[in-house]
Formats: sequence, structure tokens, C-alpha cells
Amino acid sequence: MDKLKLPDMDYVALLPMLALFVAACLGVIIEALVPRRFRNIIQLVLSIVALAVAMFFVVKQSGEVVASKALTAGGAIMIDHAALFLQGALIVLGFVALLLFGERSLEFGGPFVAQAAVTVGSERDREQTGRELGSTETFPLALFSLSGMLLFVSANDLLTMFVALEVFSLPLYLLCALARRKRLLSQESALKYFLLGAYASAFFLFGVAMVYGFAKAVDFKAIHAEALLGEGNSLLLIIGLALLAIGLLFKVAAAPFHVWTPDVYQGAPTPVTAFMASCTKVAAFGGLLRVLYVGFDGLGWQFTPVLGAIAALTVLVGSILAVTQTDLKRLLAYSSVANAGYILIGVIAGQQLGLTSVLFYLVAYGFTVIAAFALISLVRDADGEATHLSRWAGLGARSPLYAGIFTFILLAFAGIPLTSGFIAKLSVFGAAIDGGQTWLVIIGVITSIILAFPYLRVVVMMWLSEPGESTPSVSIPGGLTSTALGIGTLATLVFGVVPGPLLDLAEKASSFVR
Amino acid sequence: MTAIDVMLSAVGLVAVGSALAVVSTQHLVRAGLWLVVTLGAVAVEFLLLRAEFVAWVQVLIYVGAVVVLLLFAVMLTRAPIGRSTDLDRPIGPALLIGAGSGLGLAGLFAWVFRDMRVNPPPTGSAQRVGEAIFGDWVLPFEVLSVLLLAALVGAIVLSKKDT
Repeated sequence: MDKLKLPDMDYVALLPMLALFVAACLGVIIEALVPRRFRNIIQLVLSIVALAVAMFFVVKQSGEVVASKALTAGGAIMIDHAALFLQGALIVLGFVALLLFGERSLEFGGPFVAQAAVTVGSERDREQTGRELGSTETFPLALFSLSGMLLFVSANDLLTMFVALEVFSLPLYLLCALARRKRLLSQESALKYFLLGAYASAFFLFGVAMVYGFAKAVDFKAIHAEALLGEGNSLLLIIGLALLAIGLLFKVAAAPFHVWTPDVYQGAPTPVTAFMASCTKVAAFGGLLRVLYVGFDGLGWQFTPVLGAIAALTVLVGSILAVTQTDLKRLLAYSSVANAGYILIGVIAGQQLGLTSVLFYLVAYGFTVIAAFALISLVRDADGEATHLSRWAGLGARSPLYAGIFTFILLAFAGIPLTSGFIAKLSVFGAAIDGGQTWLVIIGVITSIILAFPYLRVVVMMWLSEPGESTPSVSIPGGLTSTALGIGTLATLVFGVVPGPLLDLAEKASSFVR
Repeated sequence: MTAIDVMLSAVGLVAVGSALAVVSTQHLVRAGLWLVVTLGAVAVEFLLLRAEFVAWVQVLIYVGAVVVLLLFAVMLTRAPIGRSTDLDRPIGPALLIGAGSGLGLAGLFAWVFRDMRVNPPPTGSAQRVGEAIFGDWVLPFEVLSVLLLAALVGAIVLSKKDT
């Protein structure tokens, strides 16, 4: 019998993913062998080391990418500049979010529940909330998810992309269910996310089947070639693309596929929310860009109007519903929906300018949103985080430093100059005008103004109201949350004042290899 | 029209009919048993299309494992064994959505593939499937094990309880 022929593997290209995966496996073993009280610190250090190794190999490759080397693992993976940029962004944002995972000084035992199987509200549950150390399996789960994201942004065919989509989604569903406080809300959010996510995955898979029916292949190069050739029935291709887009737009939380976002962002433990809001967005938009501009480039004039309508709907829904929110986490969830819409505008703009603006926006927004959720995890009372808007009244008088930082972050979300939010919006809108999508820019600017209202309301509330009886105290953060908050805030400021280097990097990365 | 075509259509009708029974019966257990018929019919379709390995996997995994798991879940939880009338919903919207998407898809496929001739591929033996999986598709295949591991860890985290 012939020997099985393995495809060429470029293991250096796979190393970032392998590093995270190996660390996750080691983390599982640590769970079994190490006593509970040491686990958190060991897991945290292990994860950070793995991320550093992964980052090292991403940076190393970025200097030596050539077209012949780009495609590896039997054509399953494409390592081009865009993939490396996205992988690097994922690793850095994942690092900052993981710092929040490890925080133990805000609350005894950290942000995660000790035993998720204990019935909510029982005697046993009350006991464990205050006294038991939280579970640390969250680190391996987060690493699994991150390694899936790294694969997702570099996948070169739809099947690999689907597998990666599942690998990064499943751990997220699980992480959502592990909050220490408000556990019912957390479990509900996990179940909701799981069911809707499975539904979206089914759409994606159905789309893959349709596209395969058209092109008789699932890799982007063949799909592109077949679409250009124009034989076969293009209806199949268009319906396939529509179904694929539903699966991906669900992950980026674009309207009308956004309904899970507020519930999940509110219910999930705040570190997990920060992780989802930053990293999932980067991964999902990375995948969307690759599908649209590598596989379905030839269909541009057909999907642009539809995507434009979705982007317009997304910014409108996100900004208008954000106005009505009374819970800070929900408010940020709707703001994240609106931001997905702005990024979509950049995606539609296309060309190099559009891609550059999208990559810049993703990184800038990721840092800011992590800082925002880090701050939310600081404002607490006896029942955990106080996320209701009214509770934040008068916070400026209680702790001017943190109220000041939060004000800065909100202004960055609103897109005030000297913050990264301003540069990001400016470059997206600039690219959209360049790409002939002026109507989207008009809607974008109008919704930005609408969206400034809820942000400014929070700011006014924090500074101009008197602190009342119910104003919670701000916990003094431990080193980890301070670091995450510091990195996030600093990045927001630096990318706002000197955006040049990151823009250059994004511009260099803004080409997909087919 | 060859004998294979006739058999394909007949078995397809069985699959669709039993699938309708799965969602319309009021007995939870019967729904599970109808599912056996549906999945079995799909396995026969695979056989008729000469994908024998996929057919046996379909029998082993879906008819064997998934349905048994489902029936175990019905038995181990306090799910009602008899008729459960509270499962019924107004039939109008369900019919509209179900029949609409079902017929729409059927029409779409019939129209799109109306004059496409596909030569029957070589038999889908275990060897060919194995070569494809461990050849070109080895990376996604291995990554699936990461997914399983993550699911395993998650299941333990969610269900483990120290006494």
C-alpha cells in the first residue's frame, strides 16, 4: 500500500496557535495537580508566557512573509500580512483581557464562580460566593478560544474557517456561565448565546454547502476563480454568500443579528465581556474581510448595497437603543453594536484605505473597551458590581481619578479629538467617502451625535450629581486590573495623539493574499 | 430514470415524512424514535450515492450514539413519557415558516441544478475518506480535537461539584 502523503507543514506559521494550545493543555493538567490556592497565579503566568511566545513568532514571521511561503498546511492556512496583523492584535488584546481574568483583590476568590454546578440561591451557594476560590479553568478555556481566533483570521478555506469558528465560540459560551455574582443572569446569558450561536453556525455551514455546490471547492482562490468564470448558477453563490454573511454578522453583532449582545454582555462575568467585546470583534471582522475580499471579491457590486443597509441599520439600532439603557453594561453592549456598524462602513468602503481603517478601528476600539469594562469591575458594593446607571451618580466626588478615567474613555467612544476613537471614526468615514459611500457617512455622523448623548449623560451624572446613600465605593484595584486599565487608557490616548505608527502598520497589513 | 433514481426518491420521501413526524408528534419518546427512521433513511441515501463510509458513520454516530443519548436524556430527566399537549403551538406561523423555507429551498435546488449532470464519483470508501482527512484536511481535523477538549473541560467545569 502507498504511504499516506502529508501536506507540507510550515510549523513556524502554526507556532502561535500551537503555543496557546499547548499552554491550554498544560493548564488543564495544572488544574488536576496543583492545590487550589496556587492555581490562579500559575495559570496566569503560564498564559502570559504562552501569549508572549505566540507574539514572538507572529512578529518574527511578519519580517519574512513571502508569497510562496504564505500558504501552508495543505492550503488550510494563509499567512499574509493581514493575518499576522490580526493575530498580533488578538494576542495583545487577549493579554490585556486575561489580566482581568486573574484579578483576585477586588473580590475574594476572583470574578468567577467556584462551583458552577451548585444550585443558585441555595445555602451552599451563599457559602461559596463569599468563601471559595473561583475556578481557574477559565484560563485554558480562554486560551482555547484565542487559538481558535488565530486560526480563524488566517483560514484559507471555508471548512477550516468553520472549524475555527466553533473552536473559538464554544469556550466563550462556557465562560459566560461562570460569573460569581448574579449567577442566574450569567447562566441565562450563556444558554442564550449558545443556542443563538449554534443557530448562526448552522447558517454558516449551510452557506458553505451552497458555495461548494457552486464552485465544487471550498478554498477562497477556487471560489474567486469560479465566480469570475461566470459559469454555473450564480444564484447559488449569492445565497451561499448571504448565509455565510449571516453567520459572520452574528458574531460581529450587527443588526438584525445583534439581539444576543446586550443580554450576553450584561450576564457574562465582566472580564469575559471585555474579552468578547475586544477579541471576538477582531476575529469576526478578520474573517468577514477575508471572505468578502478574498473569496467573493468579484461579487462586490452585489453585496455592497445589502451590507450598506445592514451597516446603516446597525449604527441606527445601536445608537438609538443605547439612549434608552439604564444599565451600564447594556449601554456599552449597544455601543458595541453601533461600533460594529462603523467598522462595517469601513469594510464596505473596501480598497486599501477601507481595510486600513478597519484594522485601525478594531485595535483602537479593543483597547478602549477593555479599559471601560475594567473600570466597571471596580465600582462595586456588597452585592458585586453596581452597574445600574443611577448608582454611578456622584462618583466624581467619591473618586475623581476613576471618574476622570471613565470620562476619558466615554469621550473616546463618542469620538472626541485627541482620543483613538476620533482617529478611528475619521479614517473609517474618510475611506467611505473615498469609496463612494457618502450616504453611510451621513448616517454615521448623525448616529455618532445620537450616541454621544448616553455617554455624556453618564459623564454629567458622575460629575454633577451629589453622591447619594446608594453611590457605591470604588474598590482600589489590584495590580492586574490597574495594569489592564492603564494599558487600555494609555493606548486610547496614544493612538489618539500619535496614530501614525499604528496606521502605518495597518496600512502595510491591509492586503490579503489570494 | 434508473432504478437508483427511483430508490433515491422513495427513500427521500421516507426521510422527509418521518422528519415531519418528529416535529409533529406529541410524544417525546416517539419523536426520538421517528428520528431513528429519518437518520436511517439519510444513511440509506448515502449508500445509494455510493458513499458507503459516510453511510456507516451516519448509522454509528447519529442512529447509534446521538439518538441513544437523546432517549437517555428523556429517561434520566423528568421529561413526560406520555402525550404532552403543552408542546403545541398555533399551527399557522409554523406552517408558513416551515413550509415556506422548505419548499423555497426545494424549488431553489430544483431550479439551480435543473440541467446539471453530475457523473457519479468513485465509491466513497473508508480509504478515500481517510486519505482526504489525513492528507489535505489534516489541520482542520486535528483542530477539531481542540474543540472536543474544550467541550470536555467545559462540561467538567459546569457539572463538577465537590461534596
